[in-house]
Amino acid sequence: MSSTHTNSINCAVRALMFVLFIGILIAYAAMSRAATPAVPDALAALRRSDSFRNGWPSYILNVKITSFESGKAGEVKLYEVSQKGTEKTYVEFMSPREKGQHLLMLGDDMWVYLPDTSRPVRITPLERLSGDASNGDVARTNYAADYTPTYVRTEEAGGEDCYVLDLAAKRKGATYQRILYWIRKQDDRPVKAEFYLTSGKLIKFATFDEYLNVAGHAQLRRMTLHDEIRHNSSSVLEYSGIAPRELPDKLFYQGRTDRF
Amino acid sequence: MNPLHLIPAIFLAAATQLAAQEMPVDSASSQSSTGQGAISQDATPPESHRDTRYSLAVIDDATFYSDLQAPLPQVQNQVLVEPSLTLRYKPRWSFSTSLIGVADRYTDNFSQIRVKEAYAGLSAGDFDFMAGRRIVRWATGYAFTAAGVLDPPRIPTNPTDRLNLNEGRDMLKADYVHGPHAFTLAWSTAALAPEPNVHDTTAFRYNVLVRGFDTSLIAGHDRGGDSFEALTFTRVLGEAFEIHGEAAWREHEAVLIGGKYTTASGITVIGEFFSPPDIPYFRDATPYPLTGRQHYLYIGARKNRLREVPHWKEWDLAVSAVSNLNDLSYTAVIDATRRFGNYFSSYVHLEVPAGTSKSEYGATPYSAATSIGLRFQL
Repeated sequence: MSSTHTNSINCAVRALMFVLFIGILIAYAAMSRAATPAVPDALAALRRSDSFRNGWPSYILNVKITSFESGKAGEVKLYEVSQKGTEKTYVEFMSPREKGQHLLMLGDDMWVYLPDTSRPVRITPLERLSGDASNGDVARTNYAADYTPTYVRTEEAGGEDCYVLDLAAKRKGATYQRILYWIRKQDDRPVKAEFYLTSGKLIKFATFDEYLNVAGHAQLRRMTLHDEIRHNSSSVLEYSGIAPRELPDKLFYQGRTDRF
Repeated sequence: MNPLHLIPAIFLAAATQLAAQEMPVDSASSQSSTGQGAISQDATPPESHRDTRYSLAVIDDATFYSDLQAPLPQVQNQVLVEPSLTLRYKPRWSFSTSLIGVADRYTDNFSQIRVKEAYAGLSAGDFDFMAGRRIVRWATGYAFTAAGVLDPPRIPTNPTDRLNLNEGRDMLKADYVHGPHAFTLAWSTAALAPEPNVHDTTAFRYNVLVRGFDTSLIAGHDRGGDSFEALTFTRVLGEAFEIHGEAAWREHEAVLIGGKYTTASGITVIGEFFSPPDIPYFRDATPYPLTGRQHYLYIGARKNRLREVPHWKEWDLAVSAVSNLNDLSYTAVIDATRRFGNYFSSYVHLEVPAGTSKSEYGATPYSAATSIGLRFQL
């Protein structure tokens, strides 16, 4: 009888200790989770940040680029951009000196149409980098399609708590080989970016300065590109006329010579 | 079968598509803000059915000839006025015209207006039609061409047509674009052509992009002249290389192979080798009587915006040389352009030929030609 009673007590104590042990484990896990910041899904965050520059699957917008040298405004360039999906971009050059020129980007392939010819001229990825604002800065803004993101850290930039993503180019045809990208923790909105060449050299950085609400989508209104090689040079890109559009596939065909 | 008979058939097919085609839907809609605090609002612009593009260039160009070995004035002055206008109604109809007004003071004083381009276009489904004068370039060569059957002539010392003097061919053209494939049928008349030795031409082109190769097959016939076939391609390799080539058959083979390389600092180098046969079609392009197959080499380098040099950001610089490898004569060319604000630029274009007096470029009747000019663009 006494032995049976003792066994029951032992069982109860063991059960109590087991429950206590599990409880301690759960509490420890919960405390650890609370102490460590959540690591974001880098690809999902990058896709959300892309939506601030590509609000619809098919859309048009105008870009005005003003170059600054030592703070003094220089040449102004105007572009009309038609974008379909992540791979097709058609840019019409509208500024006086470039009127009649067009640029077509299909994935990694890029052509320029010159006004005195109907012949599309193939251009290389390095030719995209000319100017403070390169062709790629205007025509290639879907980073999730071109880069593999990795979460690096969380830090403050531009007065906002930001995730820092390291974007590695998926292909050599990408405009830049590496981008360090600051996106707002709250909604993945782009805040700042640093652009690097294959050699690892930082060539420019961007600040995403202003957004506007277009048909319910927050869209980039103004960004500034700062030249890291010539530190007194910068370009301000202003976006306007953003609107969803049904764009025909043949607008994006490289063999079509009947450009506007 | 006469390829011309295909044009009515294509028009018929396009008319069917046009009738069946739905009107484009204006999907642009303006919505109110979702109320994000710091974000301003913008209404989406409505889609316009009419669209207009215009441009105007005015160029004052003076060319000075050194050691001129012909009884000609040493200075040629030209003023060029080049307006252009394009109208588009919906995405379907378009009309475009581009004129050149020239006032020239050289051996004679004359003024004339030339029609560079004037054409009407209709887009219907996968078909595009065009009638009128139009510049087309089917070839891929920069300084030379073997396959450009409807192209304006390439001038290796001026491959970019710096004064925009090229004029189009008068033609009817139908394009069928479907997926990655484009088929073009064109018939061009020589009746209004400003240059002599131009024939009525019927030509067909198939263009496709396969694994990065932008490739075209061209075939056609010059009335009272030759039939011809050609293949062209371009391909980008890695970050910095582009290669292009043309192979054509017109009585004999003509071959062009070229490449382009861009350095990390933005200098672009272009090289081309060209070997045309000794037939009238290719001889017409050169003023000097040549015999036998010729071999040419073009090398050029250019840098737009010399940003690396303080205060030279507004400058573009280009140097090139074209050589006849048979007689080892050549012409060296230097171009410098300086931009002023958004509308004005000035330039210097220098050509220096060299070679024996019986060589192609050595026979040029001057030792140097220097052009300076001022350009306004709107």
